[in-house]
Parts: sequence; C-alpha cells; structure tokens
Amino acid sequence: MSKLRETLEAGAFPVVVELKPPKGAGVDEMLAVVKALAGRVTAFSLPDNEHARMRLAAVAAARLVQEAGGEALVHLTCRDRNRLALESDLLGAASLGLENLLLVSGDYVTLGDHPQAKPVYDADSVQLLQIARGLMDGHDSAGLALTGAPAFFLGAVVIPEAEPLPPQLIKFEKKLAAGAQFFITPAVFDLDKLRRFREHLPETPVKLLVSVKVLGADEVAQAAAGQWRKVYSLPPNLVNDLAGKEPEDILAMGVKAASRLVQQIKQEKLADGVYLKAKGRTDLFTKILEAAGL
Amino acid sequence: MIIAERKPFAEIKAMLAPYKKILIVGCGTCVAVCLAGGEKEVGLLASQLKLALGVEDKHLEIGEITVERQCDLEFLRPLCDFTADYEAIVSMACGAGVQFLNQLCSLHPVFPAVNTTFIGVNNEVGYYTEACRACHNCYLGITGGICPVTMCPKGLLNGPCGGMVNGRCEVDPEKECAWCRIYHRLELEGRLDNLREILPLHPHDRTTTPGTVIHPAYKRRYGLNE
Ligand code: SF4
Ligand code: SF4
Repeated sequence: MSKLRETLEAGAFPVVVELKPPKGAGVDEMLAVVKALAGRVTAFSLPDNEHARMRLAAVAAARLVQEAGGEALVHLTCRDRNRLALESDLLGAASLGLENLLLVSGDYVTLGDHPQAKPVYDADSVQLLQIARGLMDGHDSAGLALTGAPAFFLGAVVIPEAEPLPPQLIKFEKKLAAGAQFFITPAVFDLDKLRRFREHLPETPVKLLVSVKVLGADEVAQAAAGQWRKVYSLPPNLVNDLAGKEPEDILAMGVKAASRLVQQIKQEKLADGVYLKAKGRTDLFTKILEAAGL
Repeated sequence: MIIAERKPFAEIKAMLAPYKKILIVGCGTCVAVCLAGGEKEVGLLASQLKLALGVEDKHLEIGEITVERQCDLEFLRPLCDFTADYEAIVSMACGAGVQFLNQLCSLHPVFPAVNTTFIGVNNEVGYYTEACRACHNCYLGITGGICPVTMCPKGLLNGPCGGMVNGRCEVDPEKECAWCRIYHRLELEGRLDNLREILPLHPHDRTTTPGTVIHPAYKRRYGLNE
C-alpha cells in the first residue's frame, strides 16, 4: 500500500513536496531533491505539464523518483489526452509501481507555452476519477475487462476559496462520488478561509492535504501591483511585507511564513497533511520542515 | 447562425492573381447578417479588387451575384449556367456554401473569401458570439439553457474547473465562468438537482465528420431503413 495512504489513514500528518519535472531530459537536479529528502517527507509530487507548459512526462518522472528512493504522487491532466490515452497512461503508471494519483482537468492551453496546441478534454476531472475507479474495478471506460486491475490511491483538487463556493462544492461532492480518496487544495495563506471551508466538508471523513507555498518575487510583484488573479488570496499585510524585497529575501521570508502555516495547520488539525510548493528547491523545503519541526 | 469574417484583402488578391475574369458569389443568409459575405460585401470586394488592380494597371473582369442560400441546392442550381463564362469563382459564403458551390461548378476553381468561424448569435450589428459547437448531444435541458460544451472553453460537463476566479473564467477573465452561469440559472429555476448527477463521457463517435442527418420523413419517402 502507498505510504501516503498509510500515513493519511494513520493520521500521521504526511508531507508531500512538489517537484518540478525539467523542461528537458536532464533529471539530475530533480532527483537530487529526492535523494536529499526521501527520509524526511512522505511523497514527491509530479505535476503534469503544469500551467500548460511542456515538461518531462510526469509518469516517467514519477518512476525515476521511485527508483531514487522516494514515493511519487503523479498528476494526470485531461487537457492533453483523450480517454484512450488517459486509460493507457493510468495502466502504464500502475505497471511502473505508481499508486498515488492526482487527477485534474488541467489549465487551459492558451495560458501555457504551446498556446496553439489542440486542447483535448475528452473527459473532465470527475469523469477521469470514474475512469480510474473503473480500472481499479477491472474494466475500462468502454466496459471491457482488464487483465490485472491496477491499485490506485485517487486524489483530486478542491478549491476552498472558490468564489462563488456552491458550484465548487457540488463538484467536490461529484468527485467524492466518483471515487476520490483524498483532496489537495491550492495554496492557502489565509487560514480563516480554510476554517470556513472546513464547515462545508461532509460528515464522512475526507482526507485533505492543504498546500503551503513559498511565493516568488514575480508573484509578489504581481500581487503588489494589484494584478493577483488566482484561486487563493494573499493577505495584504503579507504582500506589503514582501513587496520590493530582494528575490532571495522574499524566499527566506516566505519560508518562515510557510513553516508557521504548516505548524498552525497541524496544531489546529485544519488538514490531514500538507503539500509544499517551494520552487522544487531542497534548501527551501528543508528549512520549512526544520522550522515547522517536522 | 453561421458567423464568418472576411479574409484579409491581400490573401484574396493573391489567390486570384492568375485570373482575368472572375465571379463573386455572395450569400444572402448568415454571412449577410454578420456583414461578411452578403450582397453589400460582394460589391465592396469587387470595388476593392478593381481599385487595387487598376493601380497596378491590370484588368480584372468581375461578375457579381448573390443567392439567397449557398448551402441550399434549390438556390444554387440556377447559378450553374451563369458561371460558365468565368475563369474562377469567389464564394463569400461559409465553408459549407463554398463547398456546395464547388461541387456544382466542377469546371472552375472556387475560392473562399471568408473564414468561417462559428455557430453563434447576433447580439447587435457587428457583435457576434459563439453559442453552439454542434456536439450532437444537446445538454441545454440539463444545464439551464447555457451550453457547457461551448461556453466553457474546456467543455467540462460536471462543474467549474479550479481556475474560476470571482465567477470569471480562467481562460478569459472578461467572461463569466460558464459553470457559474449555469449554477445561478438553475438556482433561479429551482433545478439545482440537475447538477448533482454526474454526466457521463460525451459520445464523440456521433461527431465523426462529415455528419449526415436524414429526416425520418425522407427515409419513409425513399424507403430507407429507419
Ligand atoms: S450542448 Fe451546446 S454544443 Fe451541444 S448541441 Fe447543445 S448548444 Fe450545441
Ligand atoms: S473557469 Fe469556468 S468556463 Fe472557464 S474553463 Fe473553467 S469551468 Fe470552464
């Protein structure tokens, strides 16, 4: 069974760190993070052409992570594949020993670095969860029997700060019904918003990993210029504190803020675990973990 | 209706460079409404061509005609005799009209003068927006009369993506998120339960091109299998 699943089920507060699959075939830098942190974190997460920017295949990266001694959480997006490709990639992932999945619709192509590419979206994230669940039950989406059903731990995204929230909650319920076993949120900076969202969670326990992120200088500049357009909000005092600082100072302050958030989330049991985004950098991850006492 | 945009003049002019005598055929239906290829636009294109070639001391003989619907055999057939005198034909209809004309006038090259863009609506003169992708499986009855296939750039069938910000679309913040609109409309109508059921994968086999629709009455008339 996946360590991520075991840790979540044991209530032992897993820590997932997000890697950046390279834009290119050189994987050493990515794997150095795994070698440095494999003993300290539960799993390494591999986004799939994140923000519609082409990078090394997440499934291949995930396999390399496992070979380097880490456990992988692989993302699969509906944007780039039709149902045949989604299903065969899911089976491929299973055959490579990958169990933890994050199934997403995917950022739209025109926002990325191949804006003229054809967007696929043959399935949406809810339907992809159903597809994966079907494979686990031994059949593909056409109802045909499989030789050897895969074992997955199915993750999905939920947006606590979605505005308006009700349509997002309906989608969340659909994802649950479709077979999602755990959820990951986008970055959260304002814990009050997370507390409020938790009031909407269903009675049946749902495993929730909350993302904690270290902002980069570019993001701070964007927010300071009043051009923040993301599905999570930034507290104005945080932006004021960070604005105009040197990039490395912004990261250092971001690391401190992140470790405080992690501690608070853990203490208050606002989530079952955390998902760290810190530019895929070992030094930043290590500092957050140390400062948060993990 | 079908929305189209006139092609850039330089592109049309380049296509017609080898010819001395052309016929421009307009269409009086959709492309006339969206000001791309109706009678007026035929006249405009003809004048533009004459002017541009006149400057270059070249001569181009241009015939002009507009039929009610180029995508309809009934209106197109009478045109056949009329085209014989010309070397090339320019169609200002949508892609369907161009091809129908091309099929009928098999001895002449037929060139498109517009880019066909989408099935849409006429909000007001000059302002057209896409509304239907002809998905062969209309969901409007479930989704409060707002099309998830077209209005949501991702064509998601089961609710908003994670990119919606303040009810606006991830892809174009100028537009409201289609799923947000669908939610509010169904809420207003007291039909939110429509959204609780998971819509299955879309039957894309139906959209295999080129599509054919045969009306049941046609089948009966010609003894085809229903
Ligand atoms: S669901 Fe949308 S694309 Fe499909 S037929 Fe209806 S309006 Fe057209
Ligand atoms: S924001 Fe709404 S309309 Fe835009 S892609 Fe996402 S779900 Fe579709």
